[in-house]
Amino acid sequence: MEQEKVVIEVNHICKQYKVLKKGEGIKGALKGLVTRESRLVPAVDDLSFQIKAGEIVGFIGPNGAGKSTTIKMMSGILTPTSGEILINGMDIQKKRKEVVRNIGVIFGQRSQLNWDLRLGESYELLRHIYQIDKAQYEETLDVMDQILGIKELLDKPVRQMSLGQRVKGDLVAAMLHSPDVLFLDEPTIGLDISSKYALRKFVKEINEKRKTTIILTTHDLADIEQLCDRLIIINHGHLMEDGNLSEIVNRIAPYKTLVVEYYDEYAPEHDKCELCFHEENVAKYRFGKKEITAARLIEELSAKAQIKDVSIEEAGIDDIIRVAYGQ
Amino acid sequence: MSRAGIRVYLQVYKTQIIRSMTYKFEVYGNILMQSIIMLASAYFWKALFKNSDTVKGVDVDTMLIYTVVSAMISVVLTCNVERRIMTSVDKGTIAIDMMRPVNVFGVFLAEDIAGITALVFQNMLPILVIGCLFIKLPTPAGPAHFALFLVSLFMAFWINWLIACMFGMIAFWTLNMDALIQVKKHLIRLLSGSIIPLWFFPAWLRNILEWLPFAYLYQLPLDLYIGKYPVSSAQCQRGLCVQLLWLVLLTMGFLFLQKRVTSKVMIQGG
Ligand SMILES: Nc1ncnc2c1ncn2[C@@H]1O[C@H](COP(=O)(O)OP(=O)(O)O)[C@@H](O)[C@H]1O
Ligand SMILES: [Mg+2]
Repeated sequence: MEQEKVVIEVNHICKQYKVLKKGEGIKGALKGLVTRESRLVPAVDDLSFQIKAGEIVGFIGPNGAGKSTTIKMMSGILTPTSGEILINGMDIQKKRKEVVRNIGVIFGQRSQLNWDLRLGESYELLRHIYQIDKAQYEETLDVMDQILGIKELLDKPVRQMSLGQRVKGDLVAAMLHSPDVLFLDEPTIGLDISSKYALRKFVKEINEKRKTTIILTTHDLADIEQLCDRLIIINHGHLMEDGNLSEIVNRIAPYKTLVVEYYDEYAPEHDKCELCFHEENVAKYRFGKKEITAARLIEELSAKAQIKDVSIEEAGIDDIIRVAYGQ
Repeated sequence: MSRAGIRVYLQVYKTQIIRSMTYKFEVYGNILMQSIIMLASAYFWKALFKNSDTVKGVDVDTMLIYTVVSAMISVVLTCNVERRIMTSVDKGTIAIDMMRPVNVFGVFLAEDIAGITALVFQNMLPILVIGCLFIKLPTPAGPAHFALFLVSLFMAFWINWLIACMFGMIAFWTLNMDALIQVKKHLIRLLSGSIIPLWFFPAWLRNILEWLPFAYLYQLPLDLYIGKYPVSSAQCQRGLCVQLLWLVLLTMGFLFLQKRVTSKVMIQGG
């Protein structure tokens, strides 16, 4: 089955950045010119995972976790200090030129388009760079037009485009050579609602129509909820979690939250659960599914104070992130 | 270089020419500036030659030709590669540009050649017309001189472009280069013979400048054009040899820096 094919294989990659030590004042600066002392900053530390064809993987972690560094290594921009990355079975370091043809990459807030050209001229250039034949190029543009309505923008100078239009332009630019794999590093950062919507639609549809494998980093939980089947969570360059979204939720956040509105400001405590929020008449209780049932909890709480309304929240991504990031 | 590679550069050239042809405003400003410098120089030389037929072995007509041709050469020595590199380093897109299956510096070169092609029509021709009308018809010293002039101009273009490109590459280490670029621009203007021929400089300075690359941007091609020295003279041959030497040195420097820059991006992340 197509689904079983491994597209990306990351084996024990590490990356350390060399950072020049900066001395203080003019004396330090002069000294730095001569001695060039440097120290190593670890960014990614022994990361391994595999990604199969057609997956949409959310790659998440707090700032400085090493997400961008990993994306850069997987897309051939950055050389790992050690370890290997195989794309379609080929080592990206050894066959970089060949592998790179099968990769599309987008960094949010860093447009790849030439501001001096019209969008269509930029595409025509990419068509030549990647040696895409005219027929295939037209076909890709048709597909992209259906998803994003890109054709009406082709004659527009990039300089004059709105941010939303440029994002569309960048998405299509990254897909022109029909890569098997698309990396998106914080693609929705700074976008308005409708551009975010367009981006998510794009990711979903190219994944369905072209079977493109997609790895994206984001801080927007809605991106993950709507797009990703699978999550990889890293922190301090280490792999924290890797698995199915709901499976991870069940495993590391096996609880629900009961939201209770009382008639009074008094909210009673309960020894089988945690009172995690209390403001005015509203209290939230986090309880383990094995410890107590919701019905039982409501019953016991209502014995202590008069309840006006209740609702139950399932554990969500924000809960996993809180647990996984250790916050 | 592969056929596909050449096709990419041709495409860049084509796109860029169309774009350059539409940038009207800048172009008129340029013509105006060049014409003013050219006319002012011409009046300066006319005044200087009032009381003497020749100065440093050159007569006033030759000096006027020098002025017009110098303005025309300046078109061939325009390039945008420094800014191109700086903006892509600044925007943080250089890494992806370098990852594409085409040499990014080749693309910049094709863009510059396209820009110059457009400027030949937009700038060089108007300057020639203005020069002919108000100063003098710039006829070359002879066919042999003209042929050598073309060879030397070709090398001057490369020397200029390579220096600019290597300057741009400094942006990989320090971002604020505007001051440095200004210094370089004025150094070239002053020390290349573009406005004042180097023969007017004191001997000691001339001896130094003969070994720097600046003189090979304007002075040598201009000397050849006006026929300052006979084609078979030692000065002529030595000039072309030193120019070629600079071309080779700068090419080697460029290749070295290109390697350094690539590995810096790949290892340090830009
Ligand atoms: N070019 C660089 N030079 C030095 N250190 C870097 C560089 N890029 C990132 N780092 C450091 O590496 C770590 C991981 O960064 P990054 O991969 O950008 O994290 P994330 O994308 O998850 O926020 C951070 O500590 C960051 O400061
Ligand atoms: Mg990042």
